[in-house]
Amino acid sequence: MIIHEDALLDFIKQTAEKKLGGFEQTILPVIDTYEDQENTFLSLYKPGKTIFLDGFRTVDPLKILFYMPREKVAPFAQNTKKRIVWGVKACDLEALAVLDAAMLHGDFQDPVFKTWRENTVIVSTDCTEAGPTCHCTLMGGHPYPEKGFDLNLSKTGESYALTIGSEKGEDLLHVMQSVVSVKEGGLFPKREIDRNRKKVERQLIKQNKELEREKPYRSLKSSPVRRWKDASATCVGCGACTNVCPTCYCLILNDETRAQKFVKVRSFDSCQWNGYARVAGGSSPRPKMFERFRNRYLCKFQFMKSNFNLYGCTGCGRCTDACAGEIDFRKVVKSINDRVRMEVAG
Amino acid sequence: MNNPYEVIPAKIYEIKQESPLIRTLRLRPDKPIHFKTGQFIELSIPGVGEGPFTPSSSHFESEVMDVTIMKTGFVTEYVHKAKAGDRVGLRGPFGSRYPLEKFEGRDLLILGGGCGLAPLRSLFLSLLEEVEKYKSITFLAGAKTPTDCIYKDSATQWRKYPNVKFLRAVDVVPAGEKWDEDVGVVTVLLKKLKINPKTNPAVVCGPPVMMKYGTMDLLKMGYQEENIYLSMEKKMYCGFGQCRHCAMGSYFACKDGPVFTYAQIKDEEGIWE
Repeated sequence: MIIHEDALLDFIKQTAEKKLGGFEQTILPVIDTYEDQENTFLSLYKPGKTIFLDGFRTVDPLKILFYMPREKVAPFAQNTKKRIVWGVKACDLEALAVLDAAMLHGDFQDPVFKTWRENTVIVSTDCTEAGPTCHCTLMGGHPYPEKGFDLNLSKTGESYALTIGSEKGEDLLHVMQSVVSVKEGGLFPKREIDRNRKKVERQLIKQNKELEREKPYRSLKSSPVRRWKDASATCVGCGACTNVCPTCYCLILNDETRAQKFVKVRSFDSCQWNGYARVAGGSSPRPKMFERFRNRYLCKFQFMKSNFNLYGCTGCGRCTDACAGEIDFRKVVKSINDRVRMEVAG
Repeated sequence: MNNPYEVIPAKIYEIKQESPLIRTLRLRPDKPIHFKTGQFIELSIPGVGEGPFTPSSSHFESEVMDVTIMKTGFVTEYVHKAKAGDRVGLRGPFGSRYPLEKFEGRDLLILGGGCGLAPLRSLFLSLLEEVEKYKSITFLAGAKTPTDCIYKDSATQWRKYPNVKFLRAVDVVPAGEKWDEDVGVVTVLLKKLKINPKTNPAVVCGPPVMMKYGTMDLLKMGYQEENIYLSMEKKMYCGFGQCRHCAMGSYFACKDGPVFTYAQIKDEEGIWE
């Protein structure tokens, strides 16, 4: 199946304006410029904004659409809107699998996350570029989605080839076919898709060549403390890395009861903050910054792996972009895991 | 859908001041909470916050629940301002329980101190309900001073049971206070033990330092790592393994614990802090 990009944009516009398919919200990446740098951000559809479905992942992680920075979780009101999200990239989809494992597949389920998941249709796109900090290939991933989407779009020339990933995706395709022209594809797009995918993947492998590391990351835990102290030298403990991480989901639960009804609100927390694991008596298992810094890496590569059989890093590189200390996540892993000398910051 | 964040309201109908810093709330939840001894609940003070506490009453009671709480931080300060008749919220029960079936026919040792006696009282009272199942129960309880001793009134009653020993020690006896039992950290009482350490279980709960040295002493005596049960206290925010605050490596104190054997967690970092 193939759709011309003009037809696709027309469909997105109609979906947003006429609420086709029952979608009350249309969310997609739009281009914005900050400090002379062009980036894409997740945004509600608005006429006049520059939609950009291709390129690489947005600045903000997909998790904030399913697991918001602040949300009332009890009493829980079923007031989530039916939404469609366009232009989701593979790294964010992989990360969503971690959140699913944490919040839907345990003994307890997070009711709010669950409802957002159920009411959202995800349309992903292949990456057509590699961002400077992108490194999905180091984590065994690819710059194109393989699973976790309802519908995937692969750019081929001025068109997109469509791949259905779920029943929701199939329903969406039917709506699409009733409004705009969708053509049958032949062998040609398959070859073209593979060529585009390989091109971006080669770029990723090339830019991360020096940062290839030994797996399965056993030496991270056994590495001497001194190495962690060095690597975290410029860390200020702000927690930006965990906030933008698409798999970080640590929360704090606040009681905001005003009258008789008990109200619970959950917000993002960060294991980088001093008070994170401190108990009322004052003791904390990680009172020092480098210990908390180390904890984040161990959580990504060991604890989450052992909890969910998934790594807590999908190689999106956002933590590196967000770091006030200019610490490169990839370099920290490389230097500590493989015990090589490397400047990790700046 | 069962919402794990939803609170069961409860009414405080009695407060017992155990010591200057520790009080026991007797709660009546709006609907019965069926817990197993060793499990914990999250108790919220409306508009203030919540914290994890282990009930200190027998698990054979579910209409009422005792919770023994030390004044040590923000939420507990409000717990200590609460009055009978006030409403609080409860979530849970969460986590693992004490494996009572493994204590049957054995000489059980219970070692605790300070507010760590709270879960141990729950265990002890639950054991007493079926006391004939256990060969013997030795409960060693520590406190800083005689004034800091909690569950004072119960001692006489508890000592009436055959095959049950309840021994106490205080760290110091300040001038003007009376004490005719042992003096020293609670582990001094281990010397009085006449139990075969190789084959019998021990349960430990108390402040981190006491847990650490208590466990080390038990190991030295010959207790087996898999027979030492610890009630770990970490920052259990959510209670069901989602917030990750209580993670000890790959374990969650709230979900995989709070009751762990020493063998399970000995290699994890920061367990005593």
